[in-house]
Amino acid sequence: MTAFFTIDNLVVTIANKTLLYDISFAMAKGDYLCVIGSNGAGKSTLLKAIMSIVPLSSGSIKLNQLLLSQLKQKSLAQHISYVPQAHGHSLLFKVNEFIKMARYPYHSPFSDWSHKDQQAFDRAVTITDITSFLERQMQTLSGGEIQRVMIAAALCQQTPLLLLDEPTSFLDPHHQVEVHNLIRDLNQQHNISVIEVSHDLNHACQHSQHILALKQGKTLWYGNSSEFMNTQQLNQLYDQQFVFATHPQTGAKVALTSEFK
Amino acid sequence: MTPKPVLITITLISLFTLGVSPYIGQIHFDNSELYNQILMQIRLPRVLLAFIVGAGLAVCGMVFQAMFHNPLATPFTLGVASGASLGAASYVFLGLSFSVLGIDGSSLAAFSGALVAISIVFAISRFRSGFSPETLLLSGVAINFFFSSLILFIQYLSNISDSFRIIRWLMGSINSVGYHDMLQLLPFVSVCIVTILWLRRELNLLMAGDDIALSRGVAVKQVRYLLFFVTSLCVGAIVALCGPIGFIGMMVPHICRLLIGSDHRWLTPATLLFGGSFLIVCDTLARTIIAPAEIPVGVITTLLGGPFFLWLLVKSRLNAA
Repeated sequence: MTAFFTIDNLVVTIANKTLLYDISFAMAKGDYLCVIGSNGAGKSTLLKAIMSIVPLSSGSIKLNQLLLSQLKQKSLAQHISYVPQAHGHSLLFKVNEFIKMARYPYHSPFSDWSHKDQQAFDRAVTITDITSFLERQMQTLSGGEIQRVMIAAALCQQTPLLLLDEPTSFLDPHHQVEVHNLIRDLNQQHNISVIEVSHDLNHACQHSQHILALKQGKTLWYGNSSEFMNTQQLNQLYDQQFVFATHPQTGAKVALTSEFK
Repeated sequence: MTPKPVLITITLISLFTLGVSPYIGQIHFDNSELYNQILMQIRLPRVLLAFIVGAGLAVCGMVFQAMFHNPLATPFTLGVASGASLGAASYVFLGLSFSVLGIDGSSLAAFSGALVAISIVFAISRFRSGFSPETLLLSGVAINFFFSSLILFIQYLSNISDSFRIIRWLMGSINSVGYHDMLQLLPFVSVCIVTILWLRRELNLLMAGDDIALSRGVAVKQVRYLLFFVTSLCVGAIVALCGPIGFIGMMVPHICRLLIGSDHRWLTPATLLFGGSFLIVCDTLARTIIAPAEIPVGVITTLLGGPFFLWLLVKSRLNAA
């Protein structure tokens, strides 16, 4: 495996509080990694550290042998894109304006919208299937639509690595499936490497290739998704008993929270 | 509405305002030497000054609203203008009189005051992430009170003529004869506006939130420092010359956003033209309503701005609910 993306001994300390201790892992190109763990385990912080939204205290992050800490934010954004958690303040833009803004890393103060920009834009809105509401205001969109627009904007940035922070947390089952399928398509058909933070254990185990389980800022488990599901690990990770069932259609192992202590 | 025709309309309206308002006033048009003197040496420079001041204040307000993601955040509501006022009042009180590289000392004093205030606001907004806009505004109110009481104290210690000067100046007015003041102000406002036009894409992304801006590749910290610096420069220079003229920076960008949308490529030129002509209109009213006396233009803008502020506050509360 040639390492496409590696994190070595990453430590993040903010305001004297260490949020991530000594995180290390490597990803191959086209990998799909799910980061799981309880609330406050440092999952979002990990994505923010990769995107250089929070500073690293020590350790290094490399993409294609490039040390990310040496890149300017603008060149970083040509390599990695990020879909943040659904956030509070309303976005006062039209959908197409918002997506076009994602071409920022390829522009200088004088440059115009180019043919290449238009291609990236068309491709992003086609893949995410949002052509029908390009003219609408962002504030009028539903949760599922917003998530697709956010993913479209990240795609428009044309990066080999995509970070997603709980992309389905506030969606109903139908839209959850829709967004999950979209992410899987991006990964499998468009060869985009994905790191996704998720609370959906079953989704993570069935759809991703690797799992990184974090607990209180430390790596509890890292490996192939298919090997993750066992009582002891889940119990340790969430401080919660789980039982397992078999999915009637796919035969996959499904975790359910236990009804008894 | 598409932005282009709106911008063209605003441009035509401002050209009209610029062209017509010098001819409005107590002394009516005739072809005499005296009239031409009044027109060219008093009214025209005053109209131009009003335009520059209005444009500068409106554009600075627009930048604050984008950076703090809040329509109520302006150099005024966050205490930056009071900081500038304190700087300028101290300059008068201390009886200082100097200039550096042809820049008047009072501008530099006001600029320093603005920078101090903006650093406080910035420190507060960084203090804890996810700081609510209400808290930010309240801290702006506190900063305003604090600086205002210092200004009152300075005024109390001053002799009667300085004290009167400070009071008149605190009301905010466009009161100048000849082109000196306008030319003194022009470089500050120009630098500020050019920087903001240059950073139009960054402003759009900042408005979407810091995380999104960073993930799109904006060097948020540097852009923010640069914007704070140029807006302090601009507000400081304006306040030193004309006093704090309130609410332009809040009303104008908000109205423009309703007219032309939030894209700063269009919003910035619209705001600067609208702000300039809006202050010309206010100042023309100020010098004609009770002519031959005049009202400080700050009184007029504040009378309009107060209710507007309340309307925005109620509206944003309703939207949040």
